[in-house]
Amino acid sequence: MSRKRQRLVPDAFGLKRRRERGQAEADPLRGESGKRGGPGTRRGAACGGRTAPPAPLPVSVTWSLRPGSARAAVAELVQLFPRSLFEDALPPIALRSQVYSLVPDRTAADRQLKALQEQGEIRIIQLGFDLDAHGIIFTEDYRTRVLKACDGRPYAGAVQKFLASVLPACGDLSFQQDQMTQTFGFRDPEITQLVNAGVLTVRDAGSWWLAVPGAGRFIKYFVKGRQAVLGMVRKAKYRELLLSELLGRRAPAAVRLGLTYHVHDLIGAQLVDCVSTTSGTLLRLPET
Amino acid sequence: MLGFLLARQAGLDDPLRLRRAESTRRVLGLELNKDRDVERIHGSGINTLDIEPIEARYMLSGGSDGVIVLYDLENSSRQPYYTCKAVCSVGRNHPDVHKYSVETVQWYPHDTGMFTSSSFDKTLKVWDTNTLQTADVFSFEETVYSHHMSPVATKHCLVAVGTRGPKVQLCDLKSGSCSHILQGHRQEILAVSWSPRCEYVLATASADSRVKLWDVRRASGCLITVDQHNGKKSQAVESANTAHNGKVNGLCFTSDGLHLLTVGTDNRMRLWNSSNGENTLVNYGKVCNDSRKGLKFTVSYGCSAEFVFVPYGSTIAVYTIYSGEQITMLKGHYKSVDCCVFRSNFQELYSGSRDCNILAWVPSLSEPVPDDDETTTKSQLNPAFEDAWSSSDEEG
Repeated sequence: MSRKRQRLVPDAFGLKRRRERGQAEADPLRGESGKRGGPGTRRGAACGGRTAPPAPLPVSVTWSLRPGSARAAVAELVQLFPRSLFEDALPPIALRSQVYSLVPDRTAADRQLKALQEQGEIRIIQLGFDLDAHGIIFTEDYRTRVLKACDGRPYAGAVQKFLASVLPACGDLSFQQDQMTQTFGFRDPEITQLVNAGVLTVRDAGSWWLAVPGAGRFIKYFVKGRQAVLGMVRKAKYRELLLSELLGRRAPAAVRLGLTYHVHDLIGAQLVDCVSTTSGTLLRLPET
Repeated sequence: MLGFLLARQAGLDDPLRLRRAESTRRVLGLELNKDRDVERIHGSGINTLDIEPIEARYMLSGGSDGVIVLYDLENSSRQPYYTCKAVCSVGRNHPDVHKYSVETVQWYPHDTGMFTSSSFDKTLKVWDTNTLQTADVFSFEETVYSHHMSPVATKHCLVAVGTRGPKVQLCDLKSGSCSHILQGHRQEILAVSWSPRCEYVLATASADSRVKLWDVRRASGCLITVDQHNGKKSQAVESANTAHNGKVNGLCFTSDGLHLLTVGTDNRMRLWNSSNGENTLVNYGKVCNDSRKGLKFTVSYGCSAEFVFVPYGSTIAVYTIYSGEQITMLKGHYKSVDCCVFRSNFQELYSGSRDCNILAWVPSLSEPVPDDDETTTKSQLNPAFEDAWSSSDEEG
C-alpha cells in the first residue's frame, strides 16, 4: 500500500528512488569506518585480554575533519600504519586504494590528492608490484626518514642535495635523465649513489621512479597480507564475510600490517564487493 | 514536473530544460519490463547492434553465426505488451551470408536503404536493405574486427576498417576500393570510431594499448597518441604513450564529440579530451573487461547529465560520464553482454549478449492506479448490509 501512495505524487526527477540506492552504496564505505569503532570498542570491553583487539578507528577523527576530504582520509590511514614493525625507519605509507574506500567519490579523491601533491604536502610513490598501486606519504615524514636512513653513509651528500633541490621542485612520480642532469645538475656518479641509497629505483634506461629506502620489506608484507586477507574471504562459506566478523578474527601470521589496513585497501581496490546488509557491511568476492 | 511545465509555458525556462529533465528521469528509471520483448531469432551470441539514426525505428543485429537480423522497434499496436518483430534477416541459407561471425553492423548514416557489415571471414559487405543483396564486397587479408562510417560526413564516403593487421584501412564506397591506409599501430585494431564533430577525425584503438586520433586528410601520420599519464610521467619518446595498461577494447565518442571514452582489459574506463588527447582523470573504478575482442558500449543523448552504458560481465553498468559515479548495474542477461545501443528518442537501451537474447531496458512507467478497481467492488456492497461473520464473495 505504501508503494502505491508514493507513486500518486510523481516527482519531476525520479532521483529520489536512485538517491536512496546511491546513499546505500556510499554508506558501507563511510559507515563502516564509523561502525568499526563500534565492534572494536565492544570487543575490547567484552573479552578483556583474550586476544589483542585491533585498535578501533577513532571515529571522532573521521567526522571532525570534513568527512569527505582526502587529506583527512590520509591522516587517518597513516595512523593505521604499524610504525613499530619497521622500527620507525619507514615513513607511514597509505595507499591510494585505501583513500578510495574512505572517500566514495573517486574522481574527487583523485583531484584532491593531485592538489595535495602539487602543494607539496604529500608524495606519491609507485609501489612496484602493481602499476596502479600508489603509496601516499607525507613529505615531512619522507624527508625525516630518508635523512635518518642515510645518516653517516657515503651517499649522504647526494641524498641531501636531492631532498633539498629536487623534491620541492618536482612533484612527479618519476624523473628523467635530462631533467636530473640539466635542470638539477646531478652527475652520473651522484645518480648512482641515489640509486644505491634507495631513493631512486630504475624504471627504464634514463628514467627512475621515486622510492622509499627500505620499502622492500613493506611491499613484501603488504602483498602477502593482501593475499592472506583475500584468502580469509575466499575460504568462508559462500565466499562472503561480514566485515565485523572479519575484523574480529585473529589475523593470520602473514598479516603483519593489520587487518584494518588491508581491508581498506581491498575495498578501495574493488577486490571485494561491499554489500550493505541489516547485520552490517558484508564483503563478498566478485563472481568474475 | 508541473513546475517545469509552468516555467516553460511562462517563458522562464528554456524549452530544452524540461526535455532534458524528463530524459534524465527516464534514463535513471531503466529496467526490464515484462511488456517489452525482442523476438529471438539468433541461434548464437549477438555481437553487435545498431539503431538507424534517422528515425530510430529499425535495429540491426549481427550474430556469431553470421546471421544479420533487422528488427522494427516501433510499437504500432495499441497494446502495452509488444514484441519487436524481425522484419527480415540474412540467415544461413542466404547466398551472400557471412561465413563466420559478424563483428560489426552499421546502418548507412544518411538513410536506411543500405547497411554495412564486417565479419571474421575477412570481408566487409555493403547490403541493399530493400532487396537484401550485397551491393559490394571489400576483401581484406586479415579478419576484420570493427568498422565504422562517419555519421556526419558529407564530403566523403569512407568506411574505416580495423583488422587483425596493424594498419587501419579506409574503404571508399563511391569507388569501391580501399583508398587509404593509416599506419602507426603495432598490433590488431580492436575498435574504430569517427568523431561526430569533425568528419575527418578518426579514433582507433588497438591491442598494443594505444589509442590514436587521426586526421585522414593528413599524409604524415596520426594527430595524437593519447597518454594516460598526461605526459608528465611518460618516457621521453612519444611512441611509448599508452592509453591503458592492456588492450584497448572499445571506443565511444560522447554525443557532442568533445570527449572520448575508452575501455581496456586493465579493467579501467578512461575519459579523454578529444581535442588535445588529455586524460581527464575521471575515475570510474573497476570496469571488468574480459573480452578478447571489441566491446561495444554506448552513451546516452539528450539528458542533462550524460550516462555511459558499459557491458560489465553479464550486467550493464551505468555511469555518469563526467563525474564517474556508478548509477546502477542492469542485471538481466544470463551470459556476458557484448553490445548495447541507446534509443535516444524513447530513452530505451537494447543489449545483446552471448545468451542469444536481446533485452530491451525501458524506463519504468508509473503503474496505473488500482484504487479505482477497489472502490468499484466495494461500492457494490453497501456497508449496512455487510455482516461481520461471513466472508464476502470477493475475498473468498
